[in-house]
Amino acid sequence: MSAPTVEAPRRVLAWRPGPVALAGAIAVALVIAGELLSPGFAGYGQLVNLMRVAAFLGVIAIGQTIVIIAGGGGVDLSVGKVATFAAIIGSRVMAGDDAGIVPAVALALLVSAGIGLVNGLCVTLLRIPPFVMTLGMIGVVQGLILAYTGGQASGRAAPALTSLVNGRVVGDLPGLLFLWLLLGLLAVWLLRRTTFGWNLFAVGANRTAAELTGVRVNRTLIVAYVLSATFAGLGGILLLGYTESVFLDLADQYMLPSVAAVVIGGTLLAGGIGGYAGTAVGAIVLTVLQGLLTTLDIGGAGRTVVNGIVLLVLLSLYGRQRRLRS
Amino acid sequence: MSTALLEMTGVRKRYGGVQALDGASLTAVRGEVHALLGPNGSGKSTLDKTLAGTVVPDSGEIRIDGAVARIGGPRDAHALGVAAVYQQLSIVGDLTVTQNVVLGLEPARRWGFLDHRAARDRAGAALERFAAAFSGRLPLDRPAGSLGPGELQIVEVAKALARGPRILVLDEATASLHKEQVEVLFEVVGELRAAGVLVLFTSHRLDEVFALCDRATVLRNGRTAGTVELADTDEAELVGLMVGDVPHRAPRRAPATTGAPAPTEAFVGAGPEARPGAEAEAEAVPGAEARAGAEARPGAEAVPGARLEVRGLTTERLRDVGFTARAGEVLGLGGLQGQGQSELLLALFGAARVSAGEALLDGRPLPLTSPVRAARAGVALVPGDRGRQGMFATRPIQENLSLASMRRRARAGLALGAAAERSAARSMVERLRIKLGSLADPVSTLSGGNQQKVVIGKWLLDRPRVVLLDDPTKGVDVAAKEEIYAIVRGLADDGAVVILNSSDNRELAELSDRVLVLFEGAVVEELSGAAITEGRLVAGALRLAPGESL
Repeated sequence: MSAPTVEAPRRVLAWRPGPVALAGAIAVALVIAGELLSPGFAGYGQLVNLMRVAAFLGVIAIGQTIVIIAGGGGVDLSVGKVATFAAIIGSRVMAGDDAGIVPAVALALLVSAGIGLVNGLCVTLLRIPPFVMTLGMIGVVQGLILAYTGGQASGRAAPALTSLVNGRVVGDLPGLLFLWLLLGLLAVWLLRRTTFGWNLFAVGANRTAAELTGVRVNRTLIVAYVLSATFAGLGGILLLGYTESVFLDLADQYMLPSVAAVVIGGTLLAGGIGGYAGTAVGAIVLTVLQGLLTTLDIGGAGRTVVNGIVLLVLLSLYGRQRRLRS
Repeated sequence: MSTALLEMTGVRKRYGGVQALDGASLTAVRGEVHALLGPNGSGKSTLDKTLAGTVVPDSGEIRIDGAVARIGGPRDAHALGVAAVYQQLSIVGDLTVTQNVVLGLEPARRWGFLDHRAARDRAGAALERFAAAFSGRLPLDRPAGSLGPGELQIVEVAKALARGPRILVLDEATASLHKEQVEVLFEVVGELRAAGVLVLFTSHRLDEVFALCDRATVLRNGRTAGTVELADTDEAELVGLMVGDVPHRAPRRAPATTGAPAPTEAFVGAGPEARPGAEAEAEAVPGAEARAGAEARPGAEAVPGARLEVRGLTTERLRDVGFTARAGEVLGLGGLQGQGQSELLLALFGAARVSAGEALLDGRPLPLTSPVRAARAGVALVPGDRGRQGMFATRPIQENLSLASMRRRARAGLALGAAAERSAARSMVERLRIKLGSLADPVSTLSGGNQQKVVIGKWLLDRPRVVLLDDPTKGVDVAAKEEIYAIVRGLADDGAVVILNSSDNRELAELSDRVLVLFEGAVVEELSGAAITEGRLVAGALRLAPGESL
């Protein structure tokens, strides 16, 4: 506790690139490396393609960002499974018919939100650790999927959904990218310009203080899990529009990348610090890295190892940043 | 008496801006039970801790048996034969009582395997003498977590004794004990005395001190005020030593008028620059509502003019607390710290489990079930532990200030306007004179005093009707202290009930219209007006009859 005279702003001196800028620089470096190693990697069409792949991860990771910011070990491991389930429901209800889009999407999102509600209620009221709860929820949803489909996914994406996701809008960019941009802006607004967002950061930064400030902590947490599952469901629907038909593990593999994207984006796993812009960049980094490794024809095992190493390097860099700042 | 076993001289310790020990000294001999006394903040716990190695003093000398002792940590203290027992337990709930007692000195067999039988024997020997406190059956194999608070405290003492100390520190070790358990402990202390052990004893119960101790050293403001033989000392003399000779009476503001005074401009140093947000903030005068509310409650024996009435409030740590407070009144909570003051504030904010009792705010029942409901009813809490309970260290100052009141400014309760939030925060920064670089900086970049102002400021945007302050100037430098005093007075002048817990008796005397003195969770004395002196506060804290202190 220093005397009150020594609080001159010292930010100017201490400016260092934040995690978002750092992750952005890494994405650019990866693209350049790709172009050098394999000319054509940074071509316009190829980049658009990479961004399209990143968009699914980016949308699913919106909810993950929210849950992780809430702190207290908050994480949602069920996002991949929920996205799969939403795609399966959507596909079956719309059954390739444009007229079915609205009820299909509504039902899929409703079911997703319901799953998130159960997650949130169990985490807050029953005090089940989020990791355990959402891991367990994967099994539950898997069971629901089997019960719903009987082991055989059916239906098809409606043409309107497919053209919304894949159709070229401006500058040959697919509609999906604009949808991602829209949802991303929504996420940023939600976190930075709403009472929910500020409460969420407060709960993540100091849960006790949040309670003693009159913040409805449990309600905030429950809403966080509902949003997480809802954005995951939305990601599943978009994926359905892209692939047109579904299979039983369509989006399952997004579970860990969604957490990785959040962490690469500079959101603190301990909660209370972070934001969606970083997560979006994190999703791009992960996707470009995948693309690069595929282009270099590195096998699945090697890709996994490199992915892990990149994550570790980034995290240690961020740790250094924080120490330098404090 | 022979030569001194323990000699502490010129011990100094500074925590940030607070000089906890300022050259304290203590001399005690073998086979003595020596009391350590002093008002809040006199440094007695810190002195205990320097001996036990949990606090390393800035300077000073400790001699044990004539040899200079270098105590850099608890292990050094153990090696020198010092063992300490605090009110805060060091018991691991999941381990058995035996494992707890021998923790850190587990007897080992060859190759590092634990010798369970030897451990059990050793723990049994240490607990044997306390058998009466466990109604005869020693709970050696029970998990410590299943014991009651008094039993745990006994285990803690046994743990210290298992180390075979030459010097035993008992810091408020009797606070959670039943009467019979205290008697058992006293017997054991008697045995230790006979065996030549020096026992340093701290307790808020003065009768225990007189019953058990041979001599007492009194601390005041981190210095030793004197050492007395208790046999030829009375309570008044002790209080005199604790308070000092100066009959201190701090100048106080004029007593607040009853009812609802008009919101004055005389808030914090009404500087010409500090005004812009103030007019916009001026809403309905809360007092008007107050009277309407009082009439609205039929058949209640509402105390006229009372804004807050508390009746029979009982929690785990509070016993039947009742009082009334007028609008514009600063009600102090005195007594030694840890006697239920913080608990009372938390209970009024709905953050403690209330088992009985009720509170009325402006004649209407005040829900004591959740902080959310308390906050909505117009109650504000500035908690005692700023870092853990009060602020969001990593979040911007802006959010810290907005959080409690933003709901009111948001469109549809959701959408926040950046400009509106900024101007709300700015108005508070100016009103409370918070010194900051930018509203976007994390609140942790501020000094302690300014952090505290942020924690207070978050409530003021909502014009609270009751403000609960838990030791708001702890660890705050002198200049900021004065500014916080001005804020407290300003709140009262605006018609709020201010309930102020303070560990600083001078602060209580300076700010309070009335003081409730708490002892073991109950209000034992009420002082008002000119009767609020440091002497009366100390005497009240030690439960002396009013006459004896003068």
